[in-house]
Amino acid sequence: MAQEFDVIVCGAGHAGCEAALAAARMGSRVLMLTGNLDTIAAMSCNPAIGGLAKGHMVREIDALGGEMAINTDVTAIQFRLLNASKGLAVQAPRAQCDKKAYQFRMKHTLERQPNLTLFQAMVTGLIFKGGRVVGVQTQLGVDFKGKTVIVTTGTFLKALMHIGEKKSEGGRMGDFSANTLSGSFLEAGIELERLKTGTPCRLLGSSIDFEGLEEQPGDPEPTLFAFYDTRNDVPMFHVEQGVKIPTPAAEKLLFDAGMPGQTKQGWYPGWEQVSCFVTYTGEATEQIVRDNLHRSAMYSGEISGVGPRYCPSIEDKFVRFADKDRHRLFLEPEGRHTDEWYINGLSTSLPFDVQVEMLHSIQGLENAVMLRPAYAVEYDFAPPTQLFASLESKKVEGLFFAGQINGTSGYEEAAAQGLIAGVNAALKVRGEESIIVRRHEGYIGVLIDDLVTKGTNEPYRMFTSRAEHRLLFNHSSSELRLLHHAEHCGLLPDDRLARVQKKKQDVDFWKDRLEKQTTSGGAYADLIRKNREVKLPDAFTSLRDETRAEILYRIRYGGYLEREARLVAKLDQAERIKIPRDYDYDAVSGLRAESAQKLKAIRPANLGQASRISGVNPTDITILMIALGKRAG
Amino acid sequence: MYGSDTIVAAATPPGSGALAILRVSGPEALTLAQRVFGFSKSPEPRRATLARYRDVQGETVDELVYVFYEEGKSFTGESMLELMPHGSPLIVQLLLEDMVARGCRLADPGEFTRRAFLQGKLDLTQAESIVEVINARSRAALSAAQRQLSGEVGRKVDVFVSRLLGVSAHLEAYIDFPEEDLPPEDQAGPAQDLAALTEEMQQLEATSHYKQLLQEGVRTVILGEPNAGKSSLLNRLLGEDRAIVSDLPGTTRDYLEASLMVGPFLLRVIDTAGIHETADAIEKQGVDRALQQVNRADLLLLVLDATHPVPALPEPVQQALREKPALVLYNKTDLAENPAGRFELDGIPQLQVSAKTGAGVSDLLFHVEHLLRDRVVIPQEDSVLVSARHATALARARGCIVEAREKLQRDEPTELVASDLRDAIDAMGEIVGRIDNEAMLDTLFAKFCIGK
Repeated sequence: MAQEFDVIVCGAGHAGCEAALAAARMGSRVLMLTGNLDTIAAMSCNPAIGGLAKGHMVREIDALGGEMAINTDVTAIQFRLLNASKGLAVQAPRAQCDKKAYQFRMKHTLERQPNLTLFQAMVTGLIFKGGRVVGVQTQLGVDFKGKTVIVTTGTFLKALMHIGEKKSEGGRMGDFSANTLSGSFLEAGIELERLKTGTPCRLLGSSIDFEGLEEQPGDPEPTLFAFYDTRNDVPMFHVEQGVKIPTPAAEKLLFDAGMPGQTKQGWYPGWEQVSCFVTYTGEATEQIVRDNLHRSAMYSGEISGVGPRYCPSIEDKFVRFADKDRHRLFLEPEGRHTDEWYINGLSTSLPFDVQVEMLHSIQGLENAVMLRPAYAVEYDFAPPTQLFASLESKKVEGLFFAGQINGTSGYEEAAAQGLIAGVNAALKVRGEESIIVRRHEGYIGVLIDDLVTKGTNEPYRMFTSRAEHRLLFNHSSSELRLLHHAEHCGLLPDDRLARVQKKKQDVDFWKDRLEKQTTSGGAYADLIRKNREVKLPDAFTSLRDETRAEILYRIRYGGYLEREARLVAKLDQAERIKIPRDYDYDAVSGLRAESAQKLKAIRPANLGQASRISGVNPTDITILMIALGKRAG
Repeated sequence: MYGSDTIVAAATPPGSGALAILRVSGPEALTLAQRVFGFSKSPEPRRATLARYRDVQGETVDELVYVFYEEGKSFTGESMLELMPHGSPLIVQLLLEDMVARGCRLADPGEFTRRAFLQGKLDLTQAESIVEVINARSRAALSAAQRQLSGEVGRKVDVFVSRLLGVSAHLEAYIDFPEEDLPPEDQAGPAQDLAALTEEMQQLEATSHYKQLLQEGVRTVILGEPNAGKSSLLNRLLGEDRAIVSDLPGTTRDYLEASLMVGPFLLRVIDTAGIHETADAIEKQGVDRALQQVNRADLLLLVLDATHPVPALPEPVQQALREKPALVLYNKTDLAENPAGRFELDGIPQLQVSAKTGAGVSDLLFHVEHLLRDRVVIPQEDSVLVSARHATALARARGCIVEAREKLQRDEPTELVASDLRDAIDAMGEIVGRIDNEAMLDTLFAKFCIGK
């Protein structure tokens, strides 16, 4: 493999997969390196995709031509629409996936992708030349040349796992730790810090007593992530493909008997989904936790990395919310061909013996058999303020970062960054301008802008509340919001692009038409807003469901959406004032030294981004604006 | 932020001269001129015209001179309206408030010059110096804001912000974490919290210090022993027979108030009953009220009779004199060349005046003005603007909260309510500095046990 690649992707997790596929689909010659081909697209934590803000992001990934949405739809075994009782903007799809099926389908997709070379090797270092990255070294002693390199190493850099007092190296249980790559980053002047995350134990389903536990079934009408079902057009690998659909009754029997090695099918319209179950910590659980607090790696000070606020360990929950007498736990199946179950809500860094004791104090888990213990993992991450919004390093040209290495958490956050990094690496190779999704265009924009402008001191997870223009972000409008980016990067097949363009036309046309056209009682739009019974024109009712839903949303929420649009237009003025990458902030007279310092560190792309840097105040922005105006003049 | 809206600001320090200048710049300047002065066609550009300024309620605020500049031919390059009212801080404040009520925004420091620059009305060398001006002004404004926020108002505003974040976090928790084991969602609680919040915010707006200082002026209390000539002095200052003046001690049984401009400052002068021991029940009430006035005063004028020995003053009065800006005035110097006694209190200027002849009065006014400048009892140019800005922001936040509460009561989707609360938080951020979403998330994760 002496050839030079356009893009080398280091890591085959959720970020790496999107990055490699996007770059290869855009015509770049891509090499994907992974330490273990069997762990491609592994779901290291819970076997689920989506949820609030995350589900939105998966639909955005699909709108741009990423893989996560369709991969989820094909391999999911339960679908639920969250917040169905709330407004459209804050409804989001969530799915339980067949963990192994998800991995296999993604692996097969990579294998079948033209321009993409897969190879199992651990990257041990980067090769630099004149401020650029030109290739990577591997533990095999083989080097690879590449014009750009995308680092998607997740939690694997100097990874240290903790189970109580026990420590071992590795980014995921059973896997290795990449111990030398960090040195390459430091050598290039890229700073690293530590973060911590964790995952709960896994259980054997047949040892769980489901009797008396609350069942959480899937929705009768699943909400899919992908906008268009391409499974029929392009046959995809699927673990259950060709397997006869069992009758619901037969399936129920298997399930109720708690048989090991369930053989349930991937979801297809009409197929039966699997259920999750809800249980709670028992009365004795709290006492067990409290008696052993001193043995928790986090409480004994063993772990120095910062853990997330939104995913506290069970120790944390009992200590910080002492008035709460029990905590809810979800039991989630990990797949159809395994009887391994994930227990959501029981993250801990307590030692193994305490974990077992704790587990047995929980209703339904009195006799549960633990298959893997809970553990915490500490790892190096590269604070993302060292990146441009294209996700390219400010220090090393051609070097991109995506996923947990940037301090994020979650498969969806990782995939979103991977997609953008892959697209931008490919565009860079072509010598074209990067794609920057803006904050008002989607969660992907909010995610990357937050990371590169503000950085993070805990694993960053997306919440809808992080998006100031949340009302514009109903998940079903993703493909409309991101259409111009999709056109730019060209990941969508032409026929699909045409369908989106048509949808956009229909939405614009009918929004306007229903506002203006009157029927008995007034304009259609007014009647819709007043929730009156109104017979809408036939041409409207014959539109696709999603198109109609979008038009009705825009009519019902018209006032709010217009207000958002005005705000966006106002902010846009600042976004349009570009700041050159090499801008000399020290030469701006009147700029406070501390502001100049921050601006130099972040190097914002425009005045809007500059104004979002913490500690840079409106006066600094005014001064900068005048200085930039002077330059232009 | 960049020229799409219409801005207003006073271009002169309040009350520093016979006239003040207010500038309005932006697309609405013409419409505003038409509405305010009640004519339908365009005013003749660049011509000074005398007219009555009527506020939104139709009340005349002042008779003033205005000049209208059409777009492209003004200082900023935008349509502009210049108002030249009488130089009273109260009038300036009323005009500013009226312009804001009509949809203008108070200009940021240096915003007029910035707009001028962006419209190509200033050349490059001028731009250099603008940066300095903006810097100086915004720093002065910032320190004024910090001074104000270090006090009671600041503490109240902080409490408002944290309560607002609390309600916001509550609603956001149910939006972002539908799968968590949260208590049943309830709209009544947040609605009640918001109702209480709006009420308290309204109270703060109504009592905000800048309004007191501008509309009531600096509370200046004249005190002293009976028949020392306090009322005569007030009359002398006002140039009119406002107080009842007689030779009988204890004539002023209650207290009298009058407004007076001293330099740039508006003084609310309060003439008290004499402070002395008395058996007369009505007079005693007057003395008690005088003591209350002393305690609320911003400035004390102790009037002593130069022909009499200095009387013993009650301890609370002495303490007030030590703590507040004060002047000691020996009155009746027309009768006694040198005061019969000295009132010894460190650091308090001692002046001789004659209410009867007017001797020493201009000296008195000079001292008052300088004392006020030195002791910062009233806001300087920037802090007036800062306070007005704070009050505007507070009112805007309150408007959003009222809207949010109404939506909750109508059972509208909570993401719409949350959107109003976000606007309210942003408005509060104009007072306390930008409030990052992290603050809400901190509140949320402290309040709810989130984490599957």
